[in-house]
Amino acid sequence: MWNDWLMNWNRNTFRAGILIWLVSLAAAFAGPGDDFKSANQYYDAGKFAEAAAIYERIEPKTAHVYYNLGNAHFREGKPGLAILDYERARRLAPRDPDILANLKFAEQRLGVDEANTPPRAWERFLRSVIESRTSTEWGVCELLALWLTVLAVGAWFYIPRIRTGLLVIAAAGLVGFAGSVLALGYEVVGDRAAPAAIVVAVEAAARFAPMADSTTHFKLAEGTRVVIREDRGQWQFVERSDGQQGWVKSDTLERVAPQD
Amino acid sequence: MRFWLVLGLLLSATSALADVSVVAAVDRNHIAFGESVTLTISVQGSQSGAQPSIPRVDGLSFDGPSTQSSFSFGNGQASQSISFVYQVTPARTGEFIIPALQVSVGGRNYSSAPIRLIVEKGTVQNSSNQTLFAQIRLPSQQLYLGQTEPAQVILYSRADVPLKGVGGFNYEADGLGYKFLPNLKSGSQVINGVSFNALVIDGSISPSRTGTLNFGPCILKAQVAIRKQGRSGWPFDDSMFDQMLGRVEVRDVAVTVDAAPIEVMALPEEGRPADFAGAVGQWNLEVVAKPTEVAAGDPITLTIKVSGNGNIDTVPAPKLGSMDGFKTYDPTTKTTKDDLNTTGERVIQQVLIAKSTEVKELPEVRLAYFDPITRSYKTDVQSPIKLVVKAGSGTPTTIVSGGGRYRAEEKLGQDIVYLKGDIGRVPPGVAFYGTATFWALNVTPLLALLGTVGWKRRTDRLRGDVAYARRTRAAKNARRLLTSATSYDEIQHALQQYLGDRLNIPIGGITASVVDEQLVPRGVNGELAAQAKACFAACDTARFAGGGADLSVEATRDNVERLVDELESKHL
Repeated sequence: MWNDWLMNWNRNTFRAGILIWLVSLAAAFAGPGDDFKSANQYYDAGKFAEAAAIYERIEPKTAHVYYNLGNAHFREGKPGLAILDYERARRLAPRDPDILANLKFAEQRLGVDEANTPPRAWERFLRSVIESRTSTEWGVCELLALWLTVLAVGAWFYIPRIRTGLLVIAAAGLVGFAGSVLALGYEVVGDRAAPAAIVVAVEAAARFAPMADSTTHFKLAEGTRVVIREDRGQWQFVERSDGQQGWVKSDTLERVAPQD
Repeated sequence: MRFWLVLGLLLSATSALADVSVVAAVDRNHIAFGESVTLTISVQGSQSGAQPSIPRVDGLSFDGPSTQSSFSFGNGQASQSISFVYQVTPARTGEFIIPALQVSVGGRNYSSAPIRLIVEKGTVQNSSNQTLFAQIRLPSQQLYLGQTEPAQVILYSRADVPLKGVGGFNYEADGLGYKFLPNLKSGSQVINGVSFNALVIDGSISPSRTGTLNFGPCILKAQVAIRKQGRSGWPFDDSMFDQMLGRVEVRDVAVTVDAAPIEVMALPEEGRPADFAGAVGQWNLEVVAKPTEVAAGDPITLTIKVSGNGNIDTVPAPKLGSMDGFKTYDPTTKTTKDDLNTTGERVIQQVLIAKSTEVKELPEVRLAYFDPITRSYKTDVQSPIKLVVKAGSGTPTTIVSGGGRYRAEEKLGQDIVYLKGDIGRVPPGVAFYGTATFWALNVTPLLALLGTVGWKRRTDRLRGDVAYARRTRAAKNARRLLTSATSYDEIQHALQQYLGDRLNIPIGGITASVVDEQLVPRGVNGELAAQAKACFAACDTARFAGGGADLSVEATRDNVERLVDELESKHL
């Protein structure tokens, strides 16, 4: 009697455990993917706000989530937020043609494409090169260049016949190493020292002082990209790509890299 | 080599001479009565221009000239110029025209364009008795909405008060968009016969609403040089020696400029063309179509260029007439403008395809704009351009756009690209550069390189330095010999081998005497020296006295091993 009860209990417990495990497994695997598909369906139905809300809660966010969120915000009539999302997507997938196309289109639609472009040619070139790779890719480039340099220098000691060629390889590796370190440093240190942000309000007044009654220096259109030079809580001291600086209210901006 | 270089320079200089041009300009076109302007006549492409003859202009006096010449060589091109600089002082208010000025270069006469100079009654006369003051200079007190005009804030100091810069610039400009350039222009100016240093903040204003608006008041922090130690007389001094000796310091002096009122008017309704779309300024329209003889289906590039004075951002794309006979593609637009947005150029390129041979001309192009100088609307119309369209081959021309595939009626860049269907790759939680793997992979090759260099140096030294090689291998060889030693003879040989290698001496003649001759002078203490002698003695006794040795072979070997160990720790 007791044994029968024990056997039944064990069998039931085992079945229930399996069921819970399967449900948990399904939930664990289906969670973000289901949300993503569900949000896409809302988007297709023209319910952009609902789609955006679902994209917002997906964690961790991939480049595709940010991209779709940008599309939802754009359709919802929030192009500044759309540019912010496309920028975030671009940082994760810098060479994705869809992301680049939509970012450019949104900037053109808002008329901020020129304002978001550095005025000097060398700055444009450097930015395009540095932003064409993620920090991880620059890290891999740096390692490859370092190993190439070290191997060439090491071989230089032991293979005198091809020393000239090894010297050229070592020099090329060193240049690649230096370039990769600078690019990685710019992406990591530069963004911490002067974080990039996007104006998400319809218009933001950049003032001479962090006071509401201070004189307006210039106005920032929605979608304008700025860098934050100083953070004073309610006010941010920002710099536009043409070098103009001013204080803007914090609630008119969103940082591209969310604060920890 | 040098000959060819000189020849190249001469040829470049000669080719540069072929493009001679004369440009005359004044530093300001609007001045207050009592001020003077600088007239510069530049001869580009030559340094041998004859001094220009200045025609007499009623009411203007010309002082000068001073000449400046320059020669530069860059990008394979030589450029040279000579400039004649005059100070022009008006004797009355009014509008003056400095006529075209002629300069003779190499027997040919070149002339400049005429220059307009307006002299108005101003307040500058009252300021000429001040030491440090500033002025706002506007081209006009009346502006139209949409107009962008230059505006200058000028800081003056008397010639004996050195101006080092502007430490701060604050202004009020409610209802006026104001942009200024960070780089200041410096110069000198004569006001009522008094010479002043001048620092000019160049800017531009764009009114955003109508009514009477004020630009200013402005507060400038003038940075003036002051002698550190007080001396009798005026505290400002520009003694060259004081500056060289560091006896001057720069101090900020606040200078306030009163607000300048500006009346901003709305654009008039009267005479407004139906196709007016907000362009304000003086604009010039140019239209070029290439080619004008085509086969039906071949592309024609229509280039529309709008350039002139004003805010180019207010200028819309010019209106094209009926395009019924054409297939059109998205135009490309390139806009360039100066830093103050007071001049600009917009080039629009449109690809068209004539659908049939019936098409005879391109439609007219119109641009309506408001000219704030003449205060009237104008319409620039470019007449239709004649086309010759022949029968085509029947194969439509492909306009390659974007990805390189032909898409007949595709509109590129007209909307955002659709959603992504998959969630994509999940980014790592920690950036690669923040992982231990990244730093380990960075440090490893550097350590390997250091090891390689060290190993290489060691092997090279072992090859080239016999004493080092013997010394390095001494203990290893001795231990190897001792391990296999089964007799006193072999133990003594091992000891001799060790000492010979360690001291870099021949091993053949090494006896107990080596202790006193070699080891003691090298700092081996008495106990260790005695131990070494005892080892030799033990071996000698056993070898020469037969079985009368005090110590066994094993004990003697242990003693020698200990001796080797202890000598290894000594720096001999």
